[in-house]
Amino acid sequence: MTATAVVPPASMARSSVRAGVLLAATGGLVLLALLSLTLGSRDVAPFEALRVFTDPTPSADATVIREMRLPRTLIAIGVGAALAVSGAILQSLARNPLADAGVFGINAGAAAAVVVSAFVFGSMPVSGSVWFAFLGAGATTVAVYVIAAVGREGATPVKLALAGVCITALCGSVTSALVLADPDALEELRMWQVGALGGRYFPVLTQVAPFLVIGLVLSLCTGRILNLLSLGEDLARGLGVRTGAARAGLFALVAVLCGAATAACGPIVFVGLMVPHAARLITGPDYRWILAYSAVLGPALMLGADIIGRLVLPGGEIPVGVVIGVLGAPAFVLLVRYRNLVEL
Amino acid sequence: MRRPLFAATAAAALLLSGCSASDSDAGGDEVAWSYTSGDGETYTAAEIPTRIIAEASSAKALMEFGIEPIGIWASNPIEEDVSLQGVDFSGIEVLGEEWGKIDVAAAAELQPDLIVGDWWPVEEAYSGLEAGVEEESKKLAELAPVVGPAQSDSVVTLIEGYAELAETLGADPDQIAESRTAFDAAVADFQAATAEKPGLTALAVSPYDTSYAIAVPEHAPELLDFQQWGLNVIDPETPDPDFPYWETLSMENADKYQPDLLLFDDRWHPGNEDTLAAAPISSSITAFAAGQTTTWPGYWLHTYSDYASELTRLAGVIRSADENLVQE
Amino acid sequence: MTAVLTVSGQRVLAHRRIRLVAAGLALTAAGLFWLAIAIGGELLPPVEVLTGLTGTGEPSTVFIVRELRLPRAAAALLIGLALGAAGTLFQRVLGNPLASPDFLGVTAGAGTATVTAIVFGASSALLLPTAALAGGALTAMLIYLFAWRRGISAYRFILVGVGVATFAQSITSYLVARAEMRDAREALTWLVGSVGMASPEALTLLAVTMALFIPAAVYASRVLRALELGDATALVLGSRTQRDRVLVLGIGVVLIAVATAAAGPIAFIAMLAGPLARLLLRRAGQSIAAAALMGAVLLQTADLLAQHALPWPVSTGVVTGVFGAPYIAWTLITAARRSDLR
Repeated sequence: MTATAVVPPASMARSSVRAGVLLAATGGLVLLALLSLTLGSRDVAPFEALRVFTDPTPSADATVIREMRLPRTLIAIGVGAALAVSGAILQSLARNPLADAGVFGINAGAAAAVVVSAFVFGSMPVSGSVWFAFLGAGATTVAVYVIAAVGREGATPVKLALAGVCITALCGSVTSALVLADPDALEELRMWQVGALGGRYFPVLTQVAPFLVIGLVLSLCTGRILNLLSLGEDLARGLGVRTGAARAGLFALVAVLCGAATAACGPIVFVGLMVPHAARLITGPDYRWILAYSAVLGPALMLGADIIGRLVLPGGEIPVGVVIGVLGAPAFVLLVRYRNLVEL
Repeated sequence: MRRPLFAATAAAALLLSGCSASDSDAGGDEVAWSYTSGDGETYTAAEIPTRIIAEASSAKALMEFGIEPIGIWASNPIEEDVSLQGVDFSGIEVLGEEWGKIDVAAAAELQPDLIVGDWWPVEEAYSGLEAGVEEESKKLAELAPVVGPAQSDSVVTLIEGYAELAETLGADPDQIAESRTAFDAAVADFQAATAEKPGLTALAVSPYDTSYAIAVPEHAPELLDFQQWGLNVIDPETPDPDFPYWETLSMENADKYQPDLLLFDDRWHPGNEDTLAAAPISSSITAFAAGQTTTWPGYWLHTYSDYASELTRLAGVIRSADENLVQE
Repeated sequence: MTAVLTVSGQRVLAHRRIRLVAAGLALTAAGLFWLAIAIGGELLPPVEVLTGLTGTGEPSTVFIVRELRLPRAAAALLIGLALGAAGTLFQRVLGNPLASPDFLGVTAGAGTATVTAIVFGASSALLLPTAALAGGALTAMLIYLFAWRRGISAYRFILVGVGVATFAQSITSYLVARAEMRDAREALTWLVGSVGMASPEALTLLAVTMALFIPAAVYASRVLRALELGDATALVLGSRTQRDRVLVLGIGVVLIAVATAAAGPIAFIAMLAGPLARLLLRRAGQSIAAAALMGAVLLQTADLLAQHALPWPVSTGVVTGVFGAPYIAWTLITAARRSDLR
């Protein structure tokens, strides 16, 4: 077993502890999901809210809970997991604690594609623009990787980050040029500037679910390879990993996950950045556990932030992207201050 | 602050006397043109201005009365702007189609003697010259006096303001009266329609992906007019504190108000209707579920003819509407 | 030949190259300044530009030259200088090409403050620049405060900067998403950034700042040279490293804030000017003057393109973004040595 070479032997004893904590975290996630169904800007008594799942009588409350809060909750779970897991993979690939969908220009690419589509075809509901967002996110991921990979030393962390920044700015400029010239595009961008879960219903969920599910299942199997890659290029190659192919495959996974997540609810920052760090704090450096914890903690963060966003304004909502940005930034800054993130 | 007018090249021919009443006594002798603008000042000139540059909506308003500007600027691409349809701008120089950017050098070449735009009392600026635009655009005001009627709580007042301005610029009073008569007939027809359906309630909305915005009639001149003429447009209870033009509801609460007739903001139509249709809660909005919906002209009316045709269309919708769709 | 050059001989060569590059860039900037005034519907001949500037020409030419084009040309020059200088100060103090103020949160903070002012109905010509100034300075202070832990590590500074930038941007996006159409349009226009937005007041402030900056630059370049020998060496040489770093960063913050206040957060100039100037300087090292002038040349070129390259004029920020991004991509692809990126 090559993996034993990677995981320190002492951790075998701690595996049960890790599994226990993971189970508890999953329990917490289920609780948050129930809260997400019962709490919201519309006043529905908690037990009434759960009763609509057994009682088929149509009512406005039932519509809101079954057709609005349920898909919203499921999307939050899927997107949270996808962002967190892809963040973990990106950080390992780029050897860069900053790596996430935002830094790599993937969010900006998705937003730009949506704005271009609105400019060309006029504004459309979310279920239509999802495909353009997907296309944009996928194209940006590929572009960032290709730009970084061409040249002498291949996709080094610095080149990846710079490529991400430059693609972000390029997309930003294209977006601004169109938005200032065309009110349709402006209206569309306003919705895509900040990630939100409101306005996403079953059609959006069914559009992105296949990508999220397949991407997540495959990602959770990459722990061993990530562990090997984290030993460094030479050592990994020595252990029989075809590093080039592995990196390309992992990047493709990231493109699918980030593309689907961004398509579903717009640019969400920090989930991909923070959750893997939090997971690493709990589990140590073994990527198999980091991925598993990310897949549970990511959705928990999304749901928690979304619930807060629904409750803060009476009658209205604050988009989940803003809540995560505002809560996440201080947490991130503290993390940077007190943990040595440089060594991954 | 206002700098001496750049009328120097044209001054000899045009004999502008000055930019405002306060300093016009210097120019003195003859006053062929005088107009009290939205900003409260009276502007005068020794000859009737003929070389006019106007904001596109204002241009449309003047052109209804036969006053044709030589140059226009717009905040959006003219073809796509719902408020600029049905008017032929050919032969008029377009000086800008993006907010904040006016080609003032080209405007200067036109040697205008009057510049026209709506006066916005809250912003204290004329259309296109407000805060945030490029510095060059603001220099447009140095080419000639800027005038225009003020935005107010009635579209009719605004149009009357343009009629008055057009008349000082030599518009045919008969033509103005003719447009007005047709418009008055449309108003009478609208009033008759609302009188036939006294129980009909309407709600003006602008649905977005994540929120459902309801227009507050107090800040929407055409909705205030509709209320005046007998249509019961619902006043939302809690306008947004920092931006009272709308009450913004979360989509979950979109069934809070139940009108008989749902009016969509026509600037974003039909996109906004599709957006609402995609939200499951729309099945609980009775008027939407019953298909009793139409559009309202959102904040852009500038002419009698546009207003008349909108009123006639709405009168038709009202007559065929079911006023008891929603049971209290 | 080179092998026999003494150390002092190399230094003389380096100084000569710096002077040469700076002079070349200054000439280019002057040429672009003249072009910005001359280009319009048709090219004004030099004589008309001159009589326009002195106010003795045709009144219409005087109006176009002095009222429309001169302020914009001056704005491009001054803002470019400020951005280029600010960028290189940040990058050199923190020793990283990513550490430009537009990548850290300083520009984003200025943006948030301004958009807040716009959305909450501020419309006075002085209030927006003041908000940008206050926002930029406050953000820089916050970043410094959070990144300070027994000194400043460049890496921690960048990470905290990115965190703060995201914080600021999420608030900005929310404000734009909630704002009414008119305000949103004003806010987005400002966020793209355009040299043409600089008001006379902002320009005056910028000119004064740049005049004061000249002595500051002399001080900064001495500090930077010491810092670049490495912290340990600098300490041995008796330089009070931390205090010097703070001061130089402070100068950078003032420059970037004043520039952003005048024309919005124009992308990429601050980030590109230093590394590009360095490409020209080759082994001669770095020069604040060359970086500042490079910033001016870049921004002037970008603004000329923004105004005249397309059938309709666009904001300067659109051009710097569209051309800046491929430039970085190109550098990444062609960079033969890693050291070119630093």
